[in-house]
Amino acid sequence: MSIDISVKIGGGAGQGIQTVGDILARVCLKYGLYLMAINDFESRIRGGHSFFQIRISDKPVNAPNHKINLLLALDKKSFDLHKKELVKGGLCLMEQNDASSDKNIIGIPFLELAKESGGKITSNIVAAGACLALLGAPFEIIRTVIAEGFASKGDDIIEKNLNAAKAGYYAAGKIPFKYAFRWKASKPKGILIDGSKALSLGALAGDCRFAAFYPMSPATGIMAHLAAVSNDFPLVVEQAEDEIAAVNMVIGASFAGARAMTATSGGGFCLMTEGLGLSAITETPIVIINAQRPGPATGMATRTAQADLLFVINASQDEFPRFVFAPGSPAEAFETTARAFHLSDKYQVPAIILADQYLNDSLFIADKALKAPGKIKKFIVGDKDLKNPAEYKRYLLTNSGVSPRALPCSGKALVMVSGNEHREDGHSSESIRTRIGMVDKRNAKAAKMLSEINPPEIYFPRSKILLAGWGSTKGAIREAVDMLRKEKISAGCVSFNDLWPFPAAAAKKAFLACEKFYMVEQNSTAQLGRLIREQTSLSYSGTVLKYDGRPFFPAEIADGIKKNMR
Amino acid sequence: MLSVKDYDSGVENSWCPGCGNFGILASMKDALASMGIPPEKVLIISGIGQAAKTPHFIKSNFFHALHGRALPLATGAKIANHELAVLVNSGDGDCYGEGGNHFMHAVRRNIDITVLVHNNKVYGLTKGQPSPTSDEGMVTKIQSDGVISETFNPLSVALALGAGFVARSFSGKPEHLSRIIQEGIKHKGFSLIDILQPCVSFNHVNTFEWYKKRVYDLFEEGYLPDDFNRAMELSRVWGDKIPIGIIYKKDKPSYTDKIKTLQNGTLLSGEYLSEKIRRAIESL
Repeated sequence: MSIDISVKIGGGAGQGIQTVGDILARVCLKYGLYLMAINDFESRIRGGHSFFQIRISDKPVNAPNHKINLLLALDKKSFDLHKKELVKGGLCLMEQNDASSDKNIIGIPFLELAKESGGKITSNIVAAGACLALLGAPFEIIRTVIAEGFASKGDDIIEKNLNAAKAGYYAAGKIPFKYAFRWKASKPKGILIDGSKALSLGALAGDCRFAAFYPMSPATGIMAHLAAVSNDFPLVVEQAEDEIAAVNMVIGASFAGARAMTATSGGGFCLMTEGLGLSAITETPIVIINAQRPGPATGMATRTAQADLLFVINASQDEFPRFVFAPGSPAEAFETTARAFHLSDKYQVPAIILADQYLNDSLFIADKALKAPGKIKKFIVGDKDLKNPAEYKRYLLTNSGVSPRALPCSGKALVMVSGNEHREDGHSSESIRTRIGMVDKRNAKAAKMLSEINPPEIYFPRSKILLAGWGSTKGAIREAVDMLRKEKISAGCVSFNDLWPFPAAAAKKAFLACEKFYMVEQNSTAQLGRLIREQTSLSYSGTVLKYDGRPFFPAEIADGIKKNMR
Repeated sequence: MLSVKDYDSGVENSWCPGCGNFGILASMKDALASMGIPPEKVLIISGIGQAAKTPHFIKSNFFHALHGRALPLATGAKIANHELAVLVNSGDGDCYGEGGNHFMHAVRRNIDITVLVHNNKVYGLTKGQPSPTSDEGMVTKIQSDGVISETFNPLSVALALGAGFVARSFSGKPEHLSRIIQEGIKHKGFSLIDILQPCVSFNHVNTFEWYKKRVYDLFEEGYLPDDFNRAMELSRVWGDKIPIGIIYKKDKPSYTDKIKTLQNGTLLSGEYLSEKIRRAIESL
């Protein structure tokens, strides 16, 4: 029988939900199980309600389930809020004193056991032990994970936490649980990674040397990961006074020759749009990650959304070429970020990566190895490459639109750059010929840029209906397709990672081959659907849209499609 | 030997005849020639405004950027390559208005750049609106009953934020200005030079003659810029007598001095560490 178990750990912020979740995830990983986990939290440091939901399987899983088998309620509220999600035969573990007579509730004296073993603070570890005992996990693996997890805190702390886990484990050990399964050890199925870390590692792989940011959920994690390694690499991470400063610092650093990036969410991206235009007109490469959350304005700080696609494609006044990507998994996030640095540098244009709270804060097993390139191709010229450095023109008109790029103060060539419309030498000009020449030069890059764009990935291409989506919802949409196909519906899906320049020919080919296609997006107006219509003249037949700030569940996509087909 | 002629850019100048900017431009060229910094070794960053056009008129590497954003851009460039000599040409609107937040934080960072604020106490490019440094009560087309807000005092603000080089000069005293610019470039850390400058088109109060009567050179008075409290007091002197010169100077480590990664060379000179990235991925 195949394993597909979801465990939800709910409680107030500050109750140690993360630690429990991390132990469960690492235990499963080490035992060779597949898993994925979402983090759901409010914009507060203490109290309120948060949860961590982990899905454990013997097959790859890339989306959360809408039903849960086991609920670990660290407070009473968690049971009340989530009891409806429990499957038949599912159980809720909670503090004995809070437990009611509900037949699905198992009361365990977490606090009492914690006081006896590791101290009050370890009651979440008691709970983790109990949880894993119910699932049938062997204690040895729990011991290993706890010893590794608390290694930096010293032997005494390890000992206390081990005792706590043991106390919980034996307290729950004899309780029958319908969804307990046989644990068969095998090799880990890959590395455990969240989107934030994948994006930051991708930046390193893309030779990012400078990153500036202003803290904003859900983007801050990316910068935290980069800052943590900044002493090990030629890398400086600076917290700017605001997003405007961040993007302008990044432009300055890139101008001087360091590959540079910033990461923010929609509101911060709004502040960066003038800088985006400066990067474009001065042809200074930059990478911006927009980790989307619901808006407008503050919207919902800790929730997820995909509603900035048309915004980032069109952001800033006037027109200019740019790259826009939206990775569908941590592995894609890694690859795409490294590639964004390369392409931004090659074409001297801004590159934007659309991530979101779901991708950034969820844990996944990377489905392929993350590989950094052996070396970095540079797109910089120096005096030795120039016939006459003294006559160097930063904006020399070329057929490709890309001009040889020298760095300031690196030789005799003077690098003169202006955010005003400019002549080939970089000095401001408002002459008609210059203006037309420069607009055409910048736009000329688009054709070659399009040739760098990957077509959307198609899952079951010869299907009657296709579900179309972009970015992080890929996993959920694919699983929905699997569900539909089990019901003998000829369904497939089209997943876009590269969104701009838009791969219109490939999209058109894919959608012409099916009878109908449906948009599955986390916004309220089907932004990709509108883009497809604009770029291919093909229209979608229906939509499954979710904009409540929570990630898609495969079952709700499948249900939504079936409703559309009726 | 470099001469001021070596810095001619050959670009037609677009300032009003008699503009104070000409004096500043001449002093910059003189300072760079005197210090033996050739055009190809100079990087000038500017924002938007009449002052921000300066780099087009002086042979150099430059980035003429956005209104108010010269300081963060210069900060990024300096971090990427801290061996660059970075100058900023900005105005009172650009630096203290639109870029006010960046001004505060660039001072706090003590990034090693030399900031020349062409302070004509009025908006020139947009034709005569008051700037943060306009005197209270100044009547303009828009503020027909006079400016209501208090005058922004850049010197006091910079001092309060811990600036290590705070100076004021006057575009009508080119030798004085050239000397201050040289001192600013030599200073390791954030150097603020607020340059009083008449605007012949839109400021009919603070004219060349008005300043000429009032400014006096602190250096000639034997003033030593090493006492913070005295400097703070001096920064507030404005009226019949206006002090010019280095108000305060204190050496301390600059931003890039404090970053470990930069102590073995510039960010640009570092190797791409593919193997180390591979190990970071493996350790997950």
